[in-house]
Amino acid sequence: MTTERSSAVVAKDVSKVFFAGADPVWALEDFSLTLEEGSFTCIVGPSGCGKSTFLRILGGLEERTIGELEMTDSTHPVPAAFVFQEHGVFPWMTVRDNVAFGLRMSGVGRRERETTAEDWLRRVRLEGFAGAYPHELSGGMRQRVAIARAFATGSPVLLMDEPLGALDAQTRMLMQEELIALWETERKTVLMVTHDIDEAIILGDRVIVMSGRPGTLREDITVPFERPRSFDIERSSEFGQLRSNIWQLLRDDVRSAEETA
Amino acid sequence: MSDLSTPGREQRPDPSPEQNLDQSRVPTASAAPPRRSAQEQAELRERRTLEAARATRAQENRQRTFYLLLSVLTPVLLLALWELTARFQIIDPRFFPPPSRIAAAATEMALDGELWSHTWPTLLRLLVGGGLGAVAGIAVGLLMGAFRPVNAAFGPLFAALYPLPKIAIFPILLMIFGPTELPKMIAVFITTFFVMQINTVSGVWAIDRKLLEAGSAYGATGLDRFRFVVLPGALPFVFSGLRTATGTAVVVITAVEFTGATTEGLGYLIWNSWQLFMPEKLYVGLVVIGIIGALLTWILTTSEKLILPWRRR
Repeated sequence: MTTERSSAVVAKDVSKVFFAGADPVWALEDFSLTLEEGSFTCIVGPSGCGKSTFLRILGGLEERTIGELEMTDSTHPVPAAFVFQEHGVFPWMTVRDNVAFGLRMSGVGRRERETTAEDWLRRVRLEGFAGAYPHELSGGMRQRVAIARAFATGSPVLLMDEPLGALDAQTRMLMQEELIALWETERKTVLMVTHDIDEAIILGDRVIVMSGRPGTLREDITVPFERPRSFDIERSSEFGQLRSNIWQLLRDDVRSAEETA
Repeated sequence: MSDLSTPGREQRPDPSPEQNLDQSRVPTASAAPPRRSAQEQAELRERRTLEAARATRAQENRQRTFYLLLSVLTPVLLLALWELTARFQIIDPRFFPPPSRIAAAATEMALDGELWSHTWPTLLRLLVGGGLGAVAGIAVGLLMGAFRPVNAAFGPLFAALYPLPKIAIFPILLMIFGPTELPKMIAVFITTFFVMQINTVSGVWAIDRKLLEAGSAYGATGLDRFRFVVLPGALPFVFSGLRTATGTAVVVITAVEFTGATTEGLGYLIWNSWQLFMPEKLYVGLVVIGIIGALLTWILTTSEKLILPWRRR
């Protein structure tokens, strides 16, 4: 977006190799990305292109083989809060405890973390479910818990790994709307991996298109739509143009990924 | 619901009570197709909900009563059958004394304190040996499940020791500790330890990787990781292990008490009654052991429901 913003995450020539099978697999090769503070960036790419691996490296869940990584605000107890695709919320904790979990781990006192949790539950419209267990909720509600948990940590960076991927199409659209609204009031730095091109355009300031394995940066697209956004942008011709551009970039890689899988 | 408010049905000569009520409250019924006001609709729905709820509940109650009756009647019938066949000498009452005589023997033994003097030592051995064994097994299992070096060090060793019959170890324990309470408790300890260790390790390994990652992504390290992620995640397996362990521990303590290394305990009571040919007492011992096993299992099942509310479906 605006250029005077400082960068929250700088990744330089990050590469990752896996030695699982007979041949070493380079999931990611010389991938560089700079995220501006308060920006929403989406990564799309064929399956197996290393987009999730990159996210996991940023989140500290995976070691990088080569490359440099810098988080501006790495003093925060949770430097980057993760939102997982599915099954990421603890089934043995109530909704409230799930949302407060990050705060609890960083040593925030009971009263304060519960206040924060209640506040976030209100913002994701789950205030009536604070004492419920995740299995009592629908899939969309569980993902709202996961999103609230990430926001509640107060972490400056949110990493989302296909957070809406397991939801049905309609719930998903609803959640996209809610996610935009939530983010537009909070303006955290968000990096979101998705395989849904529409979702990437609707949510993101930038769409990073990755090539097939080994994952490298293919295109860095700035999404021109103004904020606050609504689904109306889907009807514009610019949207269609953008979507077909991205699809053209992905098409061949998606096909070859499909055929090798 | 919607076809009740269509004009065609409103003109029927004999309207149902709902329709009657409907028409009386809507003055312009003839002009426009009659529609219920929101309040009427709500009242109607409430009434219907109540009716439906009552019907559903009545059906559920009938079913529950029926199942309860079955679960009580089946054993009662079998006992009655036993009683009758024994009395009429269809089965040999020397081997199968009628339940009434077993009950009489039990009452007598309970009154003169004999029953308790055998029940208490067995219970104590089970609770102390088994309790400590379970705690140790869970702790070691958690460590083995969470830390690969610990598993590498002890996994193969425990896997080799586990199938050894614990009864075969008992003479060694007797040799070391003499005919005290200790070897009996240790025999139970070892039994529950292995069952719990194996189940807990499986429990930790069965935790969804995503949840372990979520734990570390949100900063759960060290003891917090155990407290908030590993232990709760493994608990379902821990509880199923506890049920298995209870059954095995009861078997082992009975067998240990058979060996004559003691003159107290339900196992001794059974064995001794056989040697003196007092079948009633033998059956009393059997029944009490059965009750202990069932009671422990019931306690476990109940506490599982309390401790794991998130498993209730």
